[in-house]
Amino acid sequence: MKIFIDPPNSLILFDLVERFGHEPLGAMAPIQDRIDKIELDMPPMNVTLDDVVKGLKYAGIEVPSGIRGRLALWGPLIDIADAAITMSEPPFNFGCVGCERSNEMVRYLIRRRGIPHLIIGYPEDGDEAKAVVGQIKEFLEGLK
Amino acid sequence: MSEERETRIFMISPNSMTTPDQLVREIHAMGKGVTAKETCYGTLVEGPRALVREVLATVRGKHPYDIYSKVRAYPTGDPRRCRAQHGTRPGYSQLEAEWELLPLIQHGLICSDKGEPFEVPKEKDKLPAEEFKKICEAIR
Repeated sequence: MKIFIDPPNSLILFDLVERFGHEPLGAMAPIQDRIDKIELDMPPMNVTLDDVVKGLKYAGIEVPSGIRGRLALWGPLIDIADAAITMSEPPFNFGCVGCERSNEMVRYLIRRRGIPHLIIGYPEDGDEAKAVVGQIKEFLEGLK
Repeated sequence: MSEERETRIFMISPNSMTTPDQLVREIHAMGKGVTAKETCYGTLVEGPRALVREVLATVRGKHPYDIYSKVRAYPTGDPRRCRAQHGTRPGYSQLEAEWELLPLIQHGLICSDKGEPFEVPKEKDKLPAEEFKKICEAIR
């Protein structure tokens, strides 16, 4: 099954979802599509001007272009996902998870689709890590 | 996603005894015809998707708890991302932060494979305003 991961570039989530036999939907696939098929002419940005327009499907015109650009990449993934896993409140706020408004929009879009959604936190000690891995495993096995 | 190329990050957990050099040698020794580039955190592997998946399966089989992997969008050595060519690395802060957490995930995976029961941690309550006020007044 296709599992949307949030943060979409999370190594931990991508690896765990794949380990437990599902297909993770992360930010890397749509970015690779853009790299292989069309030239990204504005590095370090991973989106084109067209993407910001496409993001209008997921966020209103009054929403900042940064959020629309992110949702242009992540929105289509949420549309095709069978389930989603969110690791909330990451202890770092750089890169694509740096915008809390985008993260809220992602959670809203997942809730609106009504797909199974697991929300967990980043582990801080061994017991929490055991619970995080256990919860992800149980959630993914329950989808089969 | 392209069926032709897959680039993968192989990240070694900080408490592993495997070094990036050993991992690259192991991947080269498999003779799959993929490109392996040694990095500070592990290795980048690039090649046709089927071959990269074979390498991934072998590496996971050999180092089930030591090495973690995800797809990378940009090809190896892409001038827009390669540090040698002063490329930007906007996702690196997250990778670094998650790298620090890998020993915990390793512990979680080992416990999960042993079938150990786990307790879901309770959600932390918000601090009541009165209590917060007391803390503020105590350190004023």
